[in-house]
Amino acid sequence: MTTTEKPTGAAAAAVYSAALGLLVLAISHIAAEYSKAGKEWVHAWGKAWMPGAEGIGPYSGKETLALIAWLGSWLLLHRILRRKNIPLSDCTVLFLIGIGVATTLLWPPVTEWVLHLLRGGHP
Amino acid sequence: MNTKEAGNGRESQGPLTITMAGLALTGLVVVLFTAPLAELLGDSRYALEGALHGVSAALFMVTATIGLFQGYRLLTGAIPSTAQLEFGSVVNAFLAFLTILFGNRIYIFYRAQEGPRTYFLENFPEIHKIFFEFKEFSALFTLPLAVAAAFLFLAYRGELLKSRSLRGLAAILLALTFFYFLVAFGLGAAITKLRAV
Repeated sequence: MTTTEKPTGAAAAAVYSAALGLLVLAISHIAAEYSKAGKEWVHAWGKAWMPGAEGIGPYSGKETLALIAWLGSWLLLHRILRRKNIPLSDCTVLFLIGIGVATTLLWPPVTEWVLHLLRGGHP
Repeated sequence: MNTKEAGNGRESQGPLTITMAGLALTGLVVVLFTAPLAELLGDSRYALEGALHGVSAALFMVTATIGLFQGYRLLTGAIPSTAQLEFGSVVNAFLAFLTILFGNRIYIFYRAQEGPRTYFLENFPEIHKIFFEFKEFSALFTLPLAVAAAFLFLAYRGELLKSRSLRGLAAILLALTFFYFLVAFGLGAAITKLRAV
């Protein structure tokens, strides 16, 4: 037996939001590394609420933005998908792609390469 | 052992649980009153946070490893009930949270003027640029992954065992939690060996 009585949308919402949060983590890291203004903007998110954020640095803002994206998108996606049946094989593939992209973007040599491209450099 | 005890694992676990709790409590009391804890912790301003980070990471290593094994058992259909997974996955997620929380605290010292980052940037810049930066992000991956796994077990309970796709997804989440934890833990241990907090 491979089906459940409970719709699979809640499971899809949980994993999509996890991947989305981690993608935002990667993007906020690139934004912080891209320029001084980007670093200050990302850091401001951490300083807004996190104890010790001044000492933690922009990392606190990256954590904050990822947390907002993860939990915010989970809330939203859960409301939208909870009564729907989502094909979990497709969902798993999309989730793994998201996690893979986030991991790749956060690998420092790749981050440097992306920043190089964003600053107008050649591949 | 009578038939009732043999057929119900929960009842027969009582004496074992009490024995284990008694041993743990005895060990803790002996260590607290006799061991040179101050020397064990070190004289850093962040020694306590460092120790708590290490202890929570060590406990997380245990639960993440159990999670990996349970994920394999889920895939092979060897798990008859999700009851143990529901509790274990919540503990796993909570330890991921604690490890990150204490990690945040010692990160303040890592970045401080007299902290290890200054040492690495002066002596081994690549260690900081590649290993430490990736380690700090890898650790963050564990929380949403472990929480999503716990959510699947709690939301679907027995239903999860009926669906191969759901079992597969839960197993993948547990395996990824273990993988990202291992990367963070391995790099953290290596960095600490080079320059402790």
